[in-house]
Amino acid sequence: MSVESKTVNTVLGPVPADDLGVVSVHEALLSVVPGAEHAFDITIDRADVFGTLAAKLKDFRAHGGGTLVDSTGMFHGRDVPLYEALSRTTGVHIVASTGQGPEEMLGGYFLTPQTNPPTPWPAEKFAGLFTDEVTQGMVVPRVERRGAAGLVATTATRTGMTPTDESLFRGAARTALATGVPVSIRYGSDAVHDLGVVLDEKVPAHRVVVGGLDRRDAVAAGAPLETARRGACVALDHVGTEDEAHLTDDERVALVAELVAAGFGNRVLLSCGATGVAKGHAGHDLPYSYVLTTFVPLLKARGVSDADIRRMLVDNPRDLLSAP
Amino acid sequence: MSRVNTVLGPIPAEELGLVAIHEHIGYGMPGSELDTQWWKSPERRYEETVPKLRQFHEHGGGTFVDATGICNGRDVDHYKSLSAKTGVHIVACTGFVGGDTALPHFARASVDYLTRQFVHEITVGIGDTKSLAGVIKVGVSRGGRMTDLDKRIYRAAARAALGTGAPILTHLAIDAENAIAIFAEEGLPLDRVLFGHVDDGVNADKTRDVWIAEQGGRIGFDTFGYETELPDPPFWARPRKERLDHFLRFVGGGRLHQVLASADANCSPLGWPGVKGHTVNYIFDDLIPDLRDAGLDEAAIKTIFVDNPAGFLTLQK
Repeated sequence: MSVESKTVNTVLGPVPADDLGVVSVHEALLSVVPGAEHAFDITIDRADVFGTLAAKLKDFRAHGGGTLVDSTGMFHGRDVPLYEALSRTTGVHIVASTGQGPEEMLGGYFLTPQTNPPTPWPAEKFAGLFTDEVTQGMVVPRVERRGAAGLVATTATRTGMTPTDESLFRGAARTALATGVPVSIRYGSDAVHDLGVVLDEKVPAHRVVVGGLDRRDAVAAGAPLETARRGACVALDHVGTEDEAHLTDDERVALVAELVAAGFGNRVLLSCGATGVAKGHAGHDLPYSYVLTTFVPLLKARGVSDADIRRMLVDNPRDLLSAP
Repeated sequence: MSRVNTVLGPIPAEELGLVAIHEHIGYGMPGSELDTQWWKSPERRYEETVPKLRQFHEHGGGTFVDATGICNGRDVDHYKSLSAKTGVHIVACTGFVGGDTALPHFARASVDYLTRQFVHEITVGIGDTKSLAGVIKVGVSRGGRMTDLDKRIYRAAARAALGTGAPILTHLAIDAENAIAIFAEEGLPLDRVLFGHVDDGVNADKTRDVWIAEQGGRIGFDTFGYETELPDPPFWARPRKERLDHFLRFVGGGRLHQVLASADANCSPLGWPGVKGHTVNYIFDDLIPDLRDAGLDEAAIKTIFVDNPAGFLTLQK
């Protein structure tokens, strides 16, 4: 089943797009570095994980949040049955994603398969793997398929896209084309180049969201505006993060205002990139509600209109997740 | 007191009996669990596995050493039930088949962290199973040379072996100079290391088996049965007679006490099709008869399959 017009695949089934409400597109629920589940010093207590995530989702909902997109893909701790229970319990719509990346995060099955020579997977095979997660259901490894992925997400290596990253990007793009779900990319060292790879697969630009555009290097290169000009969605998805690599929130507000003034208010998405529960890494411990509680007042203070704010929080993500 | 860790608890080495030293209940590359083409129902996994282990037991097989690394589908709860129901002792391993089968959490880890992972699995338990690993698996990544990560894993394995007394079993014995240098730097006696797969079709020609043995290492002819004569030979297959001659030549060179043999078969492969008809029971159905035909006496066969593995597997504490 492909995404029907005006519905969105959530872990509890298709939901009318108009019911999503405020959407946070680039967040993580349970985030596990591949392999950490086998680590001697890491415990994953499902009851604890559920309790923590449920509290965070309830907080998100209490502040006006409607839908949370777990954009971590199929191999970074995704737990579909847990997300179903969380959605039922908290009333927050949860969209889970397929996809993988960057290359470093892949299992050897994809990089050094049992063939001679051990040729890494090509784009077409990744496309098949990801597409099945939309059309047949997301894998609970070696057990069953459940639900349908609502997004295909991939990432390039920070120092620059590798050949296998490119296969992942092209495979993700073909998945979007075949199924109608949007594709989320997190670029490596060059946002516009990496966007070009998925556009080269003929995915309509408005079906693509580019994450990480509030990174300083991307802003210095003019990537947020150029991404919007090409018609893709611009995700400023580190709201609340202020470090060497990223803009401050004040600078982020200025960037939003600049994009809106340039006529791209319909291309901007806001998200925190928060990690609900992190295993094997530090994660990013911000409330999912941070955009609503802290960043929206900053936007208002800057003079961004309520209509534009609503567009960024509700309309743009709705159109991204649902438009066929 | 001799002691060997099996998935159902430590046993005396005297109870091991005939040992298949390098086998797999089921092996899959990390990530293969995401590809439904390989999935099998639990019913089918037992159907494929139990008869092979039962036959192994009926042939007189005592112990099955599973060499499936941490991220390769190692499933200790499954092994426990198989062992309890068939009477075959199963030894599980800690460690990795090669750096290219270690997932990012471990690929990024320091030697110290990897050492603690291995020691924990040997002395405290694997995951929440309470089962103790009995051997440490290490190996050379695809490509023929040890990678930096391979070397970190070898060094951590050496330290864990010294700390716990557990032996090390290698996947491939190519680039052995680097491996032996690491073991020497760490002060690990080489009789605690089984250099495996010296007989495989791809690497046999570039594996310095005699040199490794001269340094004191144990030598694993442990891909017996992967033969080019099979209808679906894997790329590492080798002509049957060529492998057997290699083995006999090596044993004939006075190395009987350093040699171990196994079939490296999968009972129920997890992330690849496997090789039809190739099972651990090749040891009884083909290998031991071939060795008898070649003139090896029962004492020599006992040395290869009972005494050498017992010495190797016994925790050195």
